[in-house]
Amino acid sequence: MAKTYDYLFKLLLIGDSGVGKTCVLFRFSEDAFNTTFISTIGIDFKIRTIELDGKKIKLQIWDTAGQERFRTITTAYYRGAMGIMLVYDITNEKSFENIKNWIRNIEENASADVEKMLLGNKCELEEKRQVSKERGEQLAVEYGIKFFETSAKASIRVEEAFFTLAKDIKTKMDKKLVSFLFY
Amino acid sequence: MPENSGDYSQEVDNGKNLRSVICKYCTSIILTPSTASFSSFEFDLPLMSQRKNDGNVETETVTTFWIVNDMFTFQNVGFSHTVGDKKYLACADCEAGPIGYHDLSEKKSYVALSRVVHT
Repeated sequence: MAKTYDYLFKLLLIGDSGVGKTCVLFRFSEDAFNTTFISTIGIDFKIRTIELDGKKIKLQIWDTAGQERFRTITTAYYRGAMGIMLVYDITNEKSFENIKNWIRNIEENASADVEKMLLGNKCELEEKRQVSKERGEQLAVEYGIKFFETSAKASIRVEEAFFTLAKDIKTKMDKKLVSFLFY
Repeated sequence: MPENSGDYSQEVDNGKNLRSVICKYCTSIILTPSTASFSSFEFDLPLMSQRKNDGNVETETVTTFWIVNDMFTFQNVGFSHTVGDKKYLACADCEAGPIGYHDLSEKKSYVALSRVVHT
């Protein structure tokens, strides 16, 4: 059977537990279904389809499945990953400080050219903010990666963040393909 | 107890899904038209809403399915962690489910017609 898509990107969500990675995984709907069966087992990964420049792109998005509790993630999990969303909670200082540790973990385990993005997520309210937007921006500049503040709860910029990450991966792949064909 | 199995013949065109398959609760698109094959067999699928919380999983017998051969055919879907040789399928947006299951040995997915809406 013919393939129904043009690109397939494996993306990972990484960050401390409780930063709302799971919220980032879906467009928040007020009446989110809290079925005991699915929530007990937990979601392993999601498949999402987006369109970029007229191309159909399948995103396979993996959550860390609680491995992050051990503050380290195994090489197996990183295998084949093309993009990583580093997520912290703007109401949780510790989750922001730990981003550096996560980046170290990625450098030790993931492929060197994996596309990274920093997300300051707020599933909570602005009044509880502990990490200013400027500090997030500064950290992203330090690592040469893009930065978004997202609110999974209000769907603010979550989709934009995924689109941007996918676009950057696609651009990188297309460039590689061109250099492979012509040089 | 068998589901209210209804007549789905008008949803099948040439063995495939005539219309889009969407979530019953949030209308997230799960499958686009003509991407899955109709099949009928009996399977005990856990109920979306479990009444009791005593560790026993309540199921119902489901009899009609859309078979999806390649998981990347799905427009949007969530895969649960593995239970035995299966993963259960849920809506990617609101996580309502199970709407079906994925068989790890066959590498095929089965979406229960009674757990989704056609539009």
